[in-house]
Amino acid sequence: MSEGTTNLSLAETVLKRVDVGIFVLNKNFEVQLWNNFMAHHSGHLAEEMLGKNLFDIFPELPKPWFTKKVNTVFMLNNFSFVSWENRPYLFRFAHNRPITGGADHMYQNCMLMPVNNENGKPESVCVVMFDVTDTAIATNLLKEAMEKIADISNRDGLTGIYNRRYLESRLESEFDRTRRYGGTFSMVLFDLDFFKKVNDTYGHLAGDKVLVEVAQRISNQLRASDIVGRYGGEEFALILPETPIEGAQVFGDRLREMIELEPVIYDNTTIPITVSMGATEYSADLASYDKLILQSDVALYASKAGGRNRLTCYSPELESIAASGAKH
Amino acid sequence: MTLAALTNDQRDALQELTNIAMGQAGSSLATLLDAFVDLSVPRIRVVEVVELPATLAELVGKNNLVSAVRQSFQGYLRGEAIIIFGEPGTHALADLMGYEAELAESGQAELLLDVANVLSGACLGGMMEQIRSFTDTHGPAELSFSMPSIMARDVPAQAIIDPQKVQWTHSLLLEVNFTIKDRNFVAHLTMLMPEDGIEKIRGIVDEFIAAF
Repeated sequence: MSEGTTNLSLAETVLKRVDVGIFVLNKNFEVQLWNNFMAHHSGHLAEEMLGKNLFDIFPELPKPWFTKKVNTVFMLNNFSFVSWENRPYLFRFAHNRPITGGADHMYQNCMLMPVNNENGKPESVCVVMFDVTDTAIATNLLKEAMEKIADISNRDGLTGIYNRRYLESRLESEFDRTRRYGGTFSMVLFDLDFFKKVNDTYGHLAGDKVLVEVAQRISNQLRASDIVGRYGGEEFALILPETPIEGAQVFGDRLREMIELEPVIYDNTTIPITVSMGATEYSADLASYDKLILQSDVALYASKAGGRNRLTCYSPELESIAASGAKH
Repeated sequence: MTLAALTNDQRDALQELTNIAMGQAGSSLATLLDAFVDLSVPRIRVVEVVELPATLAELVGKNNLVSAVRQSFQGYLRGEAIIIFGEPGTHALADLMGYEAELAESGQAELLLDVANVLSGACLGGMMEQIRSFTDTHGPAELSFSMPSIMARDVPAQAIIDPQKVQWTHSLLLEVNFTIKDRNFVAHLTMLMPEDGIEKIRGIVDEFIAAF
């Protein structure tokens, strides 16, 4: 090897060649040491770097933040750290997994340590940089998988929309949020009319297809903050944040009409579908979120009793209808 | 072996030792942040780990939400520092630490880690400096630190540490309140150490008493 190791001390050779980034800065941010890892990844050789101001060569570095970070080390004579989880990288380097990576840069953990003179005062700061791309990729994959699992556990297996458990938890948090910060929201409970007849006439697979189709059509109409879920067998629920009852009524009616106007086709058979809906709005005097479910259920019952394929908004007078009639 | 009981003299001496150390830490922080730092007199005690959740709840206020950062240290002493931030949190310090005023989630986490690292480094570093000034019988008083990580965000004070998961039985609990300019922020620092670490501190304290 032409470079030769004879005139370099053992420590210098190791420092130079170790597969970890190491560089040293003095108080003026002039580079005092720049090892091979830094040279190879940055494209700037040690000869170019030594004595130069770091920010002159790398103007893209976050200067105020990094300056403070390094100054902390000088002033407190203390270690300091940068984690990839907060700041993916200090220097934007390519990483060593261009094919299998899935990341477009090297993730870095950095440790800054004071280098003291003989009086114990820090004279320069040594930055040690670790390539943690593998760890970061694995952690990110794990995080994604966990999110996917959480999402799956919140969804209804057949229709893919949210399940009852998730609906209730969202309803509860929306209720608490509105109670604390003000504003309003509405919920709509709805039911497919004569769904038992669909199952009996066309078979359960047709029934399933109807449920999936209705869930999909409604999902396509939602605003980003709206939530739709399957509440029970053929019962669905909508949570409409920041929406007063008038808005819920207009929106619900539009959905109802859309479902009515376009029958579901299954196996060349046309299956006409209608839905009955009950809507209600948050009110500060409600004791808890489940009162909203009860109210929209009362309104839904009124829609059924009134001849189906309609939307009813809750009012206290409806309670007597619900009480006198049999459960739908 | 009952470790917890420091004699009154030992506790006073340890208190004195940390006062000096934290005084220096405070002035370093003031220089660093370029702001006036007011430091309460640190209260220090040895707490059994099983009692730690209750003690922390008492310090911070039961059910008050806190965030915590852990950081291990090794060398002259070995253990884990846990820095607990009450409300108001570290947000007030963002600009002083060189961060943008509006912090994204990851920026907040980083600030928390940064401030915690400064506190644990200043505190333990200050203690090491004190120890170096009067003793040389325990080997060079130097520490190295590992990367800090966030243990908990916005959890009730009593829930930060699960004593069942802590292998060590005793901890040195140091309570310091920082007030910076007119920004109020409170931090508590606790050091969990293996028994021999606490014994070592006892030895240092005895030496400190003898030296003065």
